[in-house]
Amino acid sequence: MIEYRDVYKAFDVPVLSGVSFTVETGETLAILGPSGTGKSVLLKTTIGLIVPDAGDVFIDGQSVFAADANQLQTLRRKAGYVFQNAALFDSMNVFENVAYGLPEGALKKLGRREVTRRVARSLEEVNLDPSVVLTKLPAELSGGMRKRVGLARAIVGEPQILLYDEPVTGLDPVNAVAVDRLITDIAERTHVTSIVVTHDVEGALSISDRVSLLEGGKLRFLGTPDEFRRSADPLVRAFADRQAAVEAALAGSARSSRMADAKTPVLP
Amino acid sequence: MMMTKRAPGLVRAIGGVGATVARHAGGMGILAWRTLAALVRGQVSLRDFTGQLFAMGVQSLPLVLVTSVLSGIVTSQQGGYQFTGSIPLYVLGSVVTSSVVLELGPVLTAVVVIGRVGARITAELGTMQVSEQIDALYSLGRDPVKVLAAPRILAGMPAMVLLVGISNLVGVLAGMLAARLTVGLGHATFFYGARLFWHSYDFFYSEMKAWAFGLLIPLISVHMGLLTRGGAEGVGRSTTASVVFMIIAVLVCDALFPPLFLN
Repeated sequence: MIEYRDVYKAFDVPVLSGVSFTVETGETLAILGPSGTGKSVLLKTTIGLIVPDAGDVFIDGQSVFAADANQLQTLRRKAGYVFQNAALFDSMNVFENVAYGLPEGALKKLGRREVTRRVARSLEEVNLDPSVVLTKLPAELSGGMRKRVGLARAIVGEPQILLYDEPVTGLDPVNAVAVDRLITDIAERTHVTSIVVTHDVEGALSISDRVSLLEGGKLRFLGTPDEFRRSADPLVRAFADRQAAVEAALAGSARSSRMADAKTPVLP
Repeated sequence: MMMTKRAPGLVRAIGGVGATVARHAGGMGILAWRTLAALVRGQVSLRDFTGQLFAMGVQSLPLVLVTSVLSGIVTSQQGGYQFTGSIPLYVLGSVVTSSVVLELGPVLTAVVVIGRVGARITAELGTMQVSEQIDALYSLGRDPVKVLAAPRILAGMPAMVLLVGISNLVGVLAGMLAARLTVGLGHATFFYGARLFWHSYDFFYSEMKAWAFGLLIPLISVHMGLLTRGGAEGVGRSTTASVVFMIIAVLVCDALFPPLFLN
């Protein structure tokens, strides 16, 4: 179980302004929201990649920010993180990248044959042919393949938690659906707790048990995909319904053209 | 009136620079301490260390050789031009040897290593930072200081000691050859002059500089790389700042050596 308790974070401006919610074990939660509203920042606080100004995150009851270095390392090993642009190590080939997802010293403890078997299995799980990609460098892969290798690296250590930062951004619709299916398949097969930050509303509604909506650094909605679709909240409607989004954008731009001092379009 | 208006701004600017220097110095101190801790605990990969030693030392050698040869030749030619007809030419052997060993060898080697290695380290780590590869290391339970910083920082010192030693030797030999070709000074006379004012301590002094520069260059370049923010532009900015800091640090350190170790 992951619990966010009153998380605050500001850079030059406030990004998160007291976010609290809980993600149950085995649950898949999607986080939606306008750009720059702190979704990725919130995801990074989960394993301490960003330290909040106030508040805390608890993984299975253990505080992330009260943990010492060893405890934090253990907490991080419980989680697999899929980065927006895969964040593969440029100087390593696919095998080395994915093998890096195994605990430190795995090559010595498990032996090269076992490590190779686990890496190949992870690549197959994300629908990549190990014999084709194993020796390739990240620069030689397409965007979709890079995302999959990033996912393979995240799952090779058999984590209990998977954190996805915009896993389908930049992918064509076919690859986006394929990645969404992978997220669902992995969650069903391994019962992993998943948090997916995304702009792809349809994908989020199809893969998640619950959906949340962040706006202005606060949690504006948290509920099931059905509740999300039926919500009367104008912002939720703008996300759930494309026509409502168009109307909201038009209303916002009309208002901003009337208001000379308005800096951003205002959603109803 | 002008002074009273300007003074707060000037004080603020000096305070700002002081705070920035203190912040960077503190960051580098922590980095050095964590590197030492990783070394003592045996957490630095020998493979990564030797890889960095090769990249910093062996791969820098051609450029260091070119610089050393040219600095030896220039020193010898200028000395020959100034001494001819006024000072006994055997003194040229001492001037070339002392100039190269005490100053030109360590400093010019440091400048070459800053441009070839320091800039590369900052750009490499900066790119890793802005492309979330450093975050990826943390997320996989790895410490970037142990994996990335320590091998680079620890390899800098032996690499510089090796390079400065070779640079000194090559610079003196090139100066000797140039003295023969330009002012007709024989090898024996050149070495006579060189030995006349030579102190064995000069060699250790030169290598002490190599150790100091070999610590400063990777320490600053790693520190600046890990501080990088803001995409490709940020990498460019931090690489430029890193090179400037490294050159200033090496020159300041070089200026501190005579009062500290030659008196």
